[in-house]
Amino acid sequence: MADPAASQQLFDLWKRQLEEGAQAWTRLLGQQAPQAPPLDPAAFWRPVLNEGLETWARLFAQTPASPELLSQWKQFLDQWIEAWSRALGQAMGTEQFAKLINQQLDAMLAAQAPVRKAMDQQIEQALQTFNLPSRAQLTAVARQIVELEDRLERLEDTLGAVLRRLDARERG
Amino acid sequence: MGQERFADVVERFTSGYASAAASAAEAPPETVRQWREELERNLGRLRNLHALLTSPEPRTGQTPREEIYRKNKSRLYRYASARTHRTPLLFVPNLGISRPYIFDLLPNGSFIEYMTRQGFDFYLLDWGVFGPEDNDLTVEHCVTRILPRVAREVLRSSGAPELSVLGYCMGAPVSASFVASHPEVPVRNFIDMAGPIDFTKVGLFGLWLAKDHFNVDRFVDTLGAIPADLVRAGFKLIKPTMDLSAGLGLWWNSWNDKYVEGFQALSKWANEYVAFPGEFFRQWVRDFYQENKLYRGELVMGGRRVDLQRITCPVFVVGAREDYIAPPECVRALVDAVGSRDREYVELPGGHISLIAGRGAAVHCWPKVSGWLASRS
Repeated sequence: MADPAASQQLFDLWKRQLEEGAQAWTRLLGQQAPQAPPLDPAAFWRPVLNEGLETWARLFAQTPASPELLSQWKQFLDQWIEAWSRALGQAMGTEQFAKLINQQLDAMLAAQAPVRKAMDQQIEQALQTFNLPSRAQLTAVARQIVELEDRLERLEDTLGAVLRRLDARERG
Repeated sequence: MGQERFADVVERFTSGYASAAASAAEAPPETVRQWREELERNLGRLRNLHALLTSPEPRTGQTPREEIYRKNKSRLYRYASARTHRTPLLFVPNLGISRPYIFDLLPNGSFIEYMTRQGFDFYLLDWGVFGPEDNDLTVEHCVTRILPRVAREVLRSSGAPELSVLGYCMGAPVSASFVASHPEVPVRNFIDMAGPIDFTKVGLFGLWLAKDHFNVDRFVDTLGAIPADLVRAGFKLIKPTMDLSAGLGLWWNSWNDKYVEGFQALSKWANEYVAFPGEFFRQWVRDFYQENKLYRGELVMGGRRVDLQRITCPVFVVGAREDYIAPPECVRALVDAVGSRDREYVELPGGHISLIAGRGAAVHCWPKVSGWLASRS
């Protein structure tokens, strides 16, 4: 039979280790830099929208009215596009926009990676069932051809260099 | 008079066409002429818009040429010319992003056609459209394996002892790396057109692709290659109102047959984006955009350090004033970085594309490039 005192001692040791481990992890996590809150797209785009409208209003006010309806309409659209081009250009040239767009890209990649992997696996399995080559297999064959072409070319280069040297020696 | 016309229009809306016809009969001849002109324009608009929707795609790249070398997807073309200059010219455009037929878009509106008419023995390197099997291709591979071979083929085909190299857009830093690291290749002249060199001044793309925000490894590791749709999204984002203003410009000028023809060809090109091989994109973003290794002299390719100071041939650098992909200041940097005594920088009107393609280019850019090169070829 097992000694109950020894069992208790072992249990206490395990319990202490668990507690210390948990405390260490808590400390470690506590030391980590606080995560930057995700950027709010609405907060970013609202001032851009206002800026675009203000720029357009300024441009519109500066332009004299023309009696030609079509020209006036074209001018109106040109100013509208120009105003938005300026406002968007200013907004997109900021660090905040760069962060925002890369956050979106990261999110897209994070979502896409497992989907792509699962899809590739399923397609590969299906192709295998029908005894057809998979995309990866075809790519591997194409890659081998590219490598072969490269090797042939290097051989040609070497051969050319040797022939040139021989030619020069014969002449010399 | 303008006020009278506006009043006439209001009259037509309020009193009906009979009254308008009566007032038209009384209108001064100048007003009637303008009305007729406007009517003809509108008829032209309708005719051309219908043609735009129903006619086949315009034929681009019509200057006669022959393929003289191919390596994997890349092709080297030699264009027919009444050769008057001894030194051949090798044109190195961007890899990925778009197809190179923009440089030979339409007859009488083509950079290549112009240069061949000026007597240059013109060679175009078409990098091609890469597939997943090419994802291991790097910038280094292009500089150390493809370009030396292409240069040799140009020399062999032209029978000349030297060649000039013209790099456009991304083709400029790539070919500058080649010229700087291959002193044994007899390059007589080097031209950089809208090619970024100092990537700290490269504008919006530089900001978006900065190391702090953009994780290129994660990007390439997840996607493998950079798909054409993503390349399109990046370029559309850099000027989001471009499509709107192009559409408006088309509507306004659609009475003009020449404009519509040019628009159709340009639109075909502008909507044909090309994917980037994964490893090429990784090296391009990391070494050029994020670490600016070319300008800082820290780039090593094929075991050789790429030192721009080692470019000692005559150098001509062309920047475009309204270029937001390669702003003039990042292009200009090459002039101070090379070791050449004969070096010149010009800043011309236009954007990244209109610098080299279109009516403005034919007036401002092509004669400048041809003139500089002719006296040195």
